[in-house]
Amino acid sequence: MSDFARQQSAFQRGILTGDDAVLTEILDSPREKREILYGVYRHAYGSRLVEAMRNEHEMLHLYLGDEMFDAMGHAYVAAHPSEHPNLRWFSRSLPDFLKTTEPYRDHPLLSDLAALEKALNDAFDREDAAVIGLADMTAFAPEAWAGLTFQPHPSALRLDLSTNASAIWLALKNEEPPPDAAALEQPCRLLIWRQDVTPMFRELATEEAMMWDEAGIAIPFGVLCSMLATYDDPDGAAARGASYLHGWITAGLLTGVSGGD
Amino acid sequence: MNVANKLPQQPLQSPADRRVDLAKPPFLGFGLGLRTQHYEEILNGNPPIDWFEVISENYMLPGGQPLRMLDRIRERYPVVMHGVSLSIASTAPPNFEYLRELRDLARRVEPKWISDHLCWTGVHGKNLHDLLPIPYTNEALDHVVSRVELVQDYLGRAIVLENVSTYVQFNNSEMTEWEFLGELSRRSGCWLLFDVNNVYVSAFNHGYDPHAFLQGIPADRVVQFHMAGHSHMGTHIIDTHDHPVCEDVWDLYVAALKRFGRVSTMIERDDNIPPLDELIIEVNRTREIAEKVVPPLIRQAG
Repeated sequence: MSDFARQQSAFQRGILTGDDAVLTEILDSPREKREILYGVYRHAYGSRLVEAMRNEHEMLHLYLGDEMFDAMGHAYVAAHPSEHPNLRWFSRSLPDFLKTTEPYRDHPLLSDLAALEKALNDAFDREDAAVIGLADMTAFAPEAWAGLTFQPHPSALRLDLSTNASAIWLALKNEEPPPDAAALEQPCRLLIWRQDVTPMFRELATEEAMMWDEAGIAIPFGVLCSMLATYDDPDGAAARGASYLHGWITAGLLTGVSGGD
Repeated sequence: MNVANKLPQQPLQSPADRRVDLAKPPFLGFGLGLRTQHYEEILNGNPPIDWFEVISENYMLPGGQPLRMLDRIRERYPVVMHGVSLSIASTAPPNFEYLRELRDLARRVEPKWISDHLCWTGVHGKNLHDLLPIPYTNEALDHVVSRVELVQDYLGRAIVLENVSTYVQFNNSEMTEWEFLGELSRRSGCWLLFDVNNVYVSAFNHGYDPHAFLQGIPADRVVQFHMAGHSHMGTHIIDTHDHPVCEDVWDLYVAALKRFGRVSTMIERDDNIPPLDELIIEVNRTREIAEKVVPPLIRQAG
């Protein structure tokens, strides 16, 4: 290893672990001791990353408050040193961290809030793609509909939450007092996507969530309707399927429709 | 056919042997760092700003609003790409995924130039997201020259490198920062971004005369000035970019204009972002001072 490489390793180790060995290679300034000057880098490391987490997780920050959020943030920084040149991706493991790390794992709401914010952040800058409109559907004859398959927008993402995190997120966003955290008997099934440039989410009924998930793997519309028929009134299944499809198209959730050949 | 026979006998030797556009970037006038808070005001108002500098990493994304806004601003204003993660002085292997994304963004944006900093951001797969200092040794100079040449070969163009604010100096340095920058530019063909505030900050922190730095930089290699604010801690200054430019830095700007002449200049604010109008006042001041200090050259530009 070159001397330059050895010195960089020591400099980095001093920031990440508190090892002071590199101080023997640093000069005091005319006005200040080297420990203080090197400390500028040590302090900046944690505070910059926690600041980035505050930006990515505004509502979690609001919910926890400065002190608790920063303590959580520094614990995350220690557990997950950044390995990507873009700060944007630094906190991507936060939902998993909160789900598995004491004391946060005892409060599943925190992981859910982080997962919702991560999904919205991801939707914000995912790939662009032209969406289809209702007019694109008129090209298909009624007998072709059973074979139609659909392509979801690349920003679209499903997320199941076990807590009322979405209600808490909305209250915080609207600057209202959030409800108490609560575990749900049935998961809250969310669909998150970007409509034009704006990240959106909405809760899906159980059968619509099923239909969306299956449509995403190119199950044809006719089969989707048969699947819907097992959830509720079989006679209304086709109408319900068409209604969900209408909603997806008008919300800019689909980028393609193909006829079954 | 033996491909090896077709290979050059020796590695590329000098900037002249390389298929790299080493031409000096053009004078753009007086610009501003583009920040998200000002997107709408810029697009709705066409403010009198000559050009924008964008943080490359903020647009190295798959899609969405950031890229769409950048495309629209790019239609109206010259744009320069300024990165913070090239880590040109790192002793770790270069991050080629980052370089590819940077090249792809440059193909989309067609910036007037691409800049980053003379610094490193991490080794051993870690990224500290800071502009970390280097020792000014011959070993480090050889290493950075080779990295700059590699990046320039990859991008097909000369890059522009900025002096960073530093808080420490290493006891094994063999030359001054300005000697290092001058040699780096001469040997690699890269151009220099002279951050007036960073010179002021580093000079205070290390107890040298900022004018010595200024006089030590080769005048014909500087293609951009940064002007920014900082936080004074009494015994040292931290480069926070969250304040207006201070009077001492304005004074140093005058000296820089006298030495370097007409240079593309911009106001760089990264935190505590004020309304656009406040920053335009600072941009106008960079222009007014330059018109007084180097009047014949500015008239020629018009």
